[in-house]
Amino acid sequence: MTDRPTIAPDATAVIEARDLKTHFQGRTGIFNALAGGKAPVARALDGVDLRIREREIVGLVGESGCGKSTLGMSLVRMYQPTGGQIQYRGDDITKAEGKRLKDYRRQAQIIFQDPYSSLNPRLTIGQVIEEPLIIHGIGTATERRQKVIRAMDLVRIPAADNIDRYPSDLSGGQRQRIAIARALVLEPRFIVADEPVSMLDVSIQASVLELLDELSRDLGLAVLYISHDIATVGYICNHVAVMYLGRIVEEGPAEDVLARPLHPYTQRLMAAIPRMNAAGAPERVELRGDVPTPMAVPPGCRFSSRCPYTTALCEAVEPGLSVQRGGQRVRCHIHDDTAARARPDLTPPRAGHVTEAADAGILAETLDHA
Amino acid sequence: MATTTPPRPGNRPASAATLAELARLNQRLAAKPAARLQVEGLSIGYSTLRGRFHAVEDVSFEVPAETNLGLVGESGCGKSTVVKALMGLQPPNTTVSGRALLDGQDILGLDDHALRDIRWNRISLITQSAMNSLDPVYTIGDQICEAILAHERVGKAVAWARAEEMFALVGLPAGRLYEFPHMFSGGMRQRAVIAMALALNAGLLLADEPTTALDPIMQSQIMTRIRGIHAHMRRSMILVTHDIAVVAETCENTVVMYAGKVAESGPTADVLERPLHPYTMGLQNAFPRLPVPGAARQPLISIPGVVPNLLLPPPGCRFASRCPFATDLCRSAAPPVVRQGAQATACHYTDRAGEFRKAAARPETWRNMRGAA
Repeated sequence: MTDRPTIAPDATAVIEARDLKTHFQGRTGIFNALAGGKAPVARALDGVDLRIREREIVGLVGESGCGKSTLGMSLVRMYQPTGGQIQYRGDDITKAEGKRLKDYRRQAQIIFQDPYSSLNPRLTIGQVIEEPLIIHGIGTATERRQKVIRAMDLVRIPAADNIDRYPSDLSGGQRQRIAIARALVLEPRFIVADEPVSMLDVSIQASVLELLDELSRDLGLAVLYISHDIATVGYICNHVAVMYLGRIVEEGPAEDVLARPLHPYTQRLMAAIPRMNAAGAPERVELRGDVPTPMAVPPGCRFSSRCPYTTALCEAVEPGLSVQRGGQRVRCHIHDDTAARARPDLTPPRAGHVTEAADAGILAETLDHA
Repeated sequence: MATTTPPRPGNRPASAATLAELARLNQRLAAKPAARLQVEGLSIGYSTLRGRFHAVEDVSFEVPAETNLGLVGESGCGKSTVVKALMGLQPPNTTVSGRALLDGQDILGLDDHALRDIRWNRISLITQSAMNSLDPVYTIGDQICEAILAHERVGKAVAWARAEEMFALVGLPAGRLYEFPHMFSGGMRQRAVIAMALALNAGLLLADEPTTALDPIMQSQIMTRIRGIHAHMRRSMILVTHDIAVVAETCENTVVMYAGKVAESGPTADVLERPLHPYTMGLQNAFPRLPVPGAARQPLISIPGVVPNLLLPPPGCRFASRCPFATDLCRSAAPPVVRQGAQATACHYTDRAGEFRKAAARPETWRNMRGAA
């Protein structure tokens, strides 16, 4: 893989999310409801702005449960967002229904993590790839066959040998290529790839990543690449967004975010990755506690309950996304003193200054008595 | 299973007698030496409806006392099969041959009674899927106590106190011993399984992909704990994983397996920095790394092709069909094991490893496979 093409700042946005929210309604017991209790709401996606342009691959990283997949599935309208807007080429499709929604889905496709369960075992490879064409009523049988063969060419699975085989005859890497071919056959403009390589063996991951990279270049696809593996993101993405508890906490050009992470959460996430060569690796600090549940989001900064630099300001006021040099944007009071000036009564956090409150929490959890 | 009633309801501290007995138990457990394991010519075959095949063939390695061994390879290479056989957990349609000497005693083919004495007591296992290795209808505390009581003549109160100590070690509050597995998050469950694996201070710990199902932050926390505890207690460990960076951080020695056979073994630093087998070289180049500021990025190169079907293993080297340096010799004759210093590799062209390493770092080498050698 060579370096990603530069995306002009004024390039057309293929897909754009504005303050996008997807909340899920929990259930409550009948007695609780009679007593006036409210059902809990999980704020899985809670105000996200994101733009993906032609030929651009945006990496979305974060821990399990941070809302990465909810964002991906909301963008292709598998989930109905509960707030905010999704624009596809300037067209608001947040609430599109019926034919408009079906048309949108031709343009926006998704590839899932597990190629072993996302392909119907009873259909041949050819049928698997043809199915979306039938659903959308495209072409005659012969035309569809041509399109299937072209899609298989794109993902480099020779059609002649494989079109009549079954998914069980293929390896994991080949199956994931078939899943990609199925997404491509509709000639979409936008693809969500949700952990497309995390189930694959290391030795073949690279080839699937390479394929995504080439497809975005050659077909001008906008790609949202969702992964918890930050190392792979560095290879194919122009832009990286880091999510924590339903919001983007840091984003920017991939090189900048990976080489110089600013948000304490991104820094911890990077430090957690095992390295072949320990020289130059950042010191590994254990994060205290677990990610809070999206049903009880902390009032201030969402990361304040686990951040080593937490102060009173962090616990009271949620920081906005502030623009840093190089176009990196970060949601942290350390890098933006707007909130600190508005609330001089609360101690602001300082870079590298581990606060006592946080320290006590970390000590209680660390296991240095071993 | 002993009584499911908590021995000390509430947070009442353990009695002086219990604490005194716990101290004696701890002393006894601490006196256990780290185990040494020598695996020689281990072959594991399965008979299936489609025929018999060897999932593991002629695998030999050694785990010296107080060291960690990384067992790496892709899915289906046989690494977990080796670990299961060491615990006597292979399914009934299996044939096992070769020897596995645990402190000199062959533990393959022991009967159930003898195995029971070894499991948890001398070898313990951390499985990949903690959810499936815990019993959903007993509390975590009861499950840890069960393992302790099966091997040590102590009262339940003492076993429970020991379980509390293990929980503290893995960073879980003692009160949660009263809870059931479903009340724990994935990371906590994995920590509970580690606590159980450490409860009897077994001389050899087998960790089968202990962090594969977890996200990177949880993975880092769990591996830090395993490493810390392990170094402190000076045990021996086999760590099965496909993540070579985890091995680089954890293990003194590494065995790389491919299609049921050992491709390469030796000290981790040597194997990862100066690999002798083309498969290890390929694995290295395919492994995604974080960008190093200021340095040019190595391209990510995948290994073309697929692992051979073990029902019809190729006659020669098993990696030959995917190896850019393979010759007719490789395709017809199985390579001998060649030693080079502390490293050993099964390749016909070990003497050309330096040249191969240079070529393997170039993406073209793997792209047009028929050109080389």
